[in-house]
Amino acid sequence: MKQNSLSGERRTKVILQIVLAVICVIYILPVLTVVINSFKQNTYVKSETFALPNEESWNGLENFIKGMTFGNYPFWKSVLYSVVITVASTALILVFTSMAAWYIARVNSFFCKVIYFLCVFSMVVPFQMVMFTLSKTADKLHLNTPWSIPVVYLGFGAGLAIFMFVGFVKSIPISIEESAAMDGCGPVRTFFRIVLPMLKPTLISVGILEIMWVWNDYLLPYLVLDINEYRTIPIHIQYLKGSYGTVDLGATMALILLSIIPVIVFYLSCQKHIIKGVAAGAVKG
Amino acid sequence: MAEVILKNIKKVYPYVSGEKKKRKKGGEPEKKTNLQITDEGVVAVQKFSLDIADKEFIVLVGPSGCGKSTTLRMVAGLEEISDGELYIDGKLVNDVAPKDRDIAMVFQNYALYPHMTVYDNMAFSLKLKHMPKAEIDRKVREAAEILDITQYLDRKPKALSGGQRQRVAIGRAIVRAPKVMLMDEPLSNLDAKLRNQMRAEIIKLREHINTTFIYVTHDQTEAMTLGDRIVIMRDGYIQQIGTPQEVFNHPANLFVAGFIGMPVMNLFDAKLIREGQHYFVELDGHRVHLSEEKCARLAAKNVESQDVTLGVRPEHIDLAEDGVSARIDVSEMMGSSVHLHLSAGDRDMIVIVPTVDMQGLPHMGDTVCFSFKGNVAHVFSKEDDKNLEF
Repeated sequence: MKQNSLSGERRTKVILQIVLAVICVIYILPVLTVVINSFKQNTYVKSETFALPNEESWNGLENFIKGMTFGNYPFWKSVLYSVVITVASTALILVFTSMAAWYIARVNSFFCKVIYFLCVFSMVVPFQMVMFTLSKTADKLHLNTPWSIPVVYLGFGAGLAIFMFVGFVKSIPISIEESAAMDGCGPVRTFFRIVLPMLKPTLISVGILEIMWVWNDYLLPYLVLDINEYRTIPIHIQYLKGSYGTVDLGATMALILLSIIPVIVFYLSCQKHIIKGVAAGAVKG
Repeated sequence: MAEVILKNIKKVYPYVSGEKKKRKKGGEPEKKTNLQITDEGVVAVQKFSLDIADKEFIVLVGPSGCGKSTTLRMVAGLEEISDGELYIDGKLVNDVAPKDRDIAMVFQNYALYPHMTVYDNMAFSLKLKHMPKAEIDRKVREAAEILDITQYLDRKPKALSGGQRQRVAIGRAIVRAPKVMLMDEPLSNLDAKLRNQMRAEIIKLREHINTTFIYVTHDQTEAMTLGDRIVIMRDGYIQQIGTPQEVFNHPANLFVAGFIGMPVMNLFDAKLIREGQHYFVELDGHRVHLSEEKCARLAAKNVESQDVTLGVRPEHIDLAEDGVSARIDVSEMMGSSVHLHLSAGDRDMIVIVPTVDMQGLPHMGDTVCFSFKGNVAHVFSKEDDKNLEF
């Protein structure tokens, strides 16, 4: 009887493992397809999409060179703008929202409650609902350059970031800040010397989430930026089109691979902090 | 090293947004404590006046919610003072920021900076004062030596035990050589054995650092062993201020009588009888003549015969041939003594009998007689629970 139930349990485990393995493959397949096809000739991308490159279809680094030199807009410029926008937006979000979250978590006033609920509410408003009014407003306020668009990202990223930071700050005993006050810290010093270092796990996880979002974002820069002058990598990839709408899939795949490599490397190197940050504040340590 | 004077200190916690409206709409809010609730808010501390001498060790003691921590936090500058005056070293500091009061505080939950090493935790305040590095190093190592934490200076707080963390918290406070050292239930997070050990170390610490201490606890043993004077608080008011011996031997009211001493004082409904300048207490027909000292105090206040609450500590009751009879419900052998739980009529009481005085252990269910001497009987008014001698 006991043996039967044991073997049944083992069977369930095996089935579960198979199901999870299949799900993993489904998740990894698009990335794998991009990697495989970025080294194949254009014609083989369409006809043998899931096949590994062979002697016949192998195109070496041709697709990468083609993708980077296509059209009259230099690829390095797109990379530069993507980096500038991503770094500036993430930095802005981290600095401002962590400070705001500290204030919201520590000051028990009606105003703070309203701000907090507005931030949480902003997370449930889909971008498509506000995109046209936003692009108009951004134009009017001259937020349509890579140097000013981080302000727009700050507005959109603040909701999630504040939500995460407030949760974590609330789990920090207030006596630590009181202790700092007695040691001789004013509010600014208390924040930068005591609170901010303690927020490190959340800073990293919010940072990773924001970097992945801003780096891969297509719609917001497409609507806000002057496309002829400023293109981020996702926009640059979209312009890999020939006449009559023909698309060089090999080159497109190569550029997609180039664009996702930094994010994947960054994610893998900070993976443990994401788990820490997401779990942080859930229970009192 | 400073004198601290608190004059008529009051603390009111105002209602947070919406709470007052709710209160008006729904009438009186549900009371969780006996603190006074006014239109301004909840009154946590009132009429708190105390002069603390230089280098004195004062202990604020009382049950949860009595206002002792609030008082300490007002001295620290972490809570605003609603009314009254606070002087440290002769200077009015009501509106002075905590960092400018030259005081240090040890928190209940240690409040160490988790991202800094023990050394950095202790050196932090000195660095903010721009003290020379060599001087900081000397002070930190000196404090670490006193507290026996030199070997942990490079560790982060998470790598330390509770007791070690508390030492670091104390170390962080003493490196500053503050005018006043505040301690908010510093031992309550430690287990019983460690608490006893740390208590002894705090007593030793006083020898090393000549400063004024204000110590908050709800543990009367800590209060009795540490304090030069004890301030007993209840519902925001001071109940009694005195040396440990004074509050134990002459409790000002029933609350103090019940709060100080373990096991708690036995209370009986009795009669106080005046015969000229002599006073007697009568309990179940058994009459005890009060001591001359007590009689003089009662006579000076012209106390007349009346029904009173009689208080006698368990260690002051003797088993006797003649006296009030009671039945033994429970007998607890504690080693050096036996705690007898007795019931006399509808009253429950405890008697502590030293084992050396006993001829064989009494059994549960036995009937015994007890008596007490006139110098250990405390008489409290039935009307306001005050000790009639005061």
